[in-house]
Amino acid sequence: MRFEDELVGLLPRLRRFARGLARDASDADDLCQAAIERALKSRDQWSHGTRLDSWMYRITRNLWIDERRAAARRGVQKPIDEAVLQVAGDGAAHVEAGALRGDVDGAMAHLPDEQREVVMLVLVEGYAYREAAEILEVPIGTVTSRLARGRETLMHLLGEAA
Amino acid sequence: MTIDRATIAAYVDGELDDIAARRVERAAGADPEIADAIARHRALTAALAAHYGPVAEEAVPNRLLDLVAGAGRVDTSLAARREAKRARFGAMQWGAIAASLALGLTIGLRPWLPAEPVAVEGGALVAAGPLSEALDTQLASNQPADAPVRIGLSFRDRAGRYCRSFESAAVDGIGCRADGRWRLERTTPGAAATDYRQAASGSLAAAAADMMAGDALDAGAERAARDGGWRR
Repeated sequence: MRFEDELVGLLPRLRRFARGLARDASDADDLCQAAIERALKSRDQWSHGTRLDSWMYRITRNLWIDERRAAARRGVQKPIDEAVLQVAGDGAAHVEAGALRGDVDGAMAHLPDEQREVVMLVLVEGYAYREAAEILEVPIGTVTSRLARGRETLMHLLGEAA
Repeated sequence: MTIDRATIAAYVDGELDDIAARRVERAAGADPEIADAIARHRALTAALAAHYGPVAEEAVPNRLLDLVAGAGRVDTSLAARREAKRARFGAMQWGAIAASLALGLTIGLRPWLPAEPVAVEGGALVAAGPLSEALDTQLASNQPADAPVRIGLSFRDRAGRYCRSFESAAVDGIGCRADGRWRLERTTPGAAATDYRQAASGSLAAAAADMMAGDALDAGAERAARDGGWRR
């Protein structure tokens, strides 16, 4: 299949992943657009026979992290490193259990980026732990621990019935 | 027998081999707390799927498809686009809303109006908004009786493109998938504009029969084509 055809086929899923990262719908499509541009420019770096989806998810995710860091430098958002340190529960434990019942967007907003991207890749996009680790270029143990923390926070905020 | 949380998570995520999974299932049968933890994990996954799933069902915006098709501008940074967007909204606050209406700018700038079902792109009539979404996602086999757009036949034309006939209040017609959008190859006024619905759908069926190579898609083939993104 042509590179372009395969890329078009991926776009619905990629938009879903971006929506989870960026939350705002138009920010998410901007992120997708930047990822497509990057992919088209550096398509030589994608080796045929390897999975285009993993490659696209990695590009998207890296652009998102870059964007967050740039925003942090401009003072728009708190630095990402601080967010990493924000262990699940630190921000969320003060919120009553089930306080965000039914509000998935609100609950996801409580997760540090590193947990949100793992939650999206594994629980929404359905990637295996190993695949998620490859996309994020982190050890598999990092995936499982971030996923566990993200899950705890989401279950806490969304309540027993999630 | 104790099952830790990580194992429960791995079980729900399908990461355990058969033996380990059966061990969790046995433990869940004996211990309601484990069964409950599994149920809570599953409920979370289901809530996330229900929330984000529809995003992947939406029609992909043309600006993204155009980019892949080589029609879009390349080398625009995310930050630059954000700036442009901010500038645009800033201008609109200064009273340009009326002007943009008068100029008939695209539906994206007029979110308070219902999205138009038809647009012109590159000189061709294409499905837009709700019509494009229905052609993308809706299956004739299980569409609700009151769906605003009703899908009729889905088939391949002689060029190998997927085509679908449809009826709606504003327009009836046949759209064929090309370059990531639905080109409208046939259009007639919809139910809101004509009393001759029977005749219209009859002539559409005749037009479809004219265009199709082979038979119309059955329910299974229709679903497979949709899941494949209507790519040839």
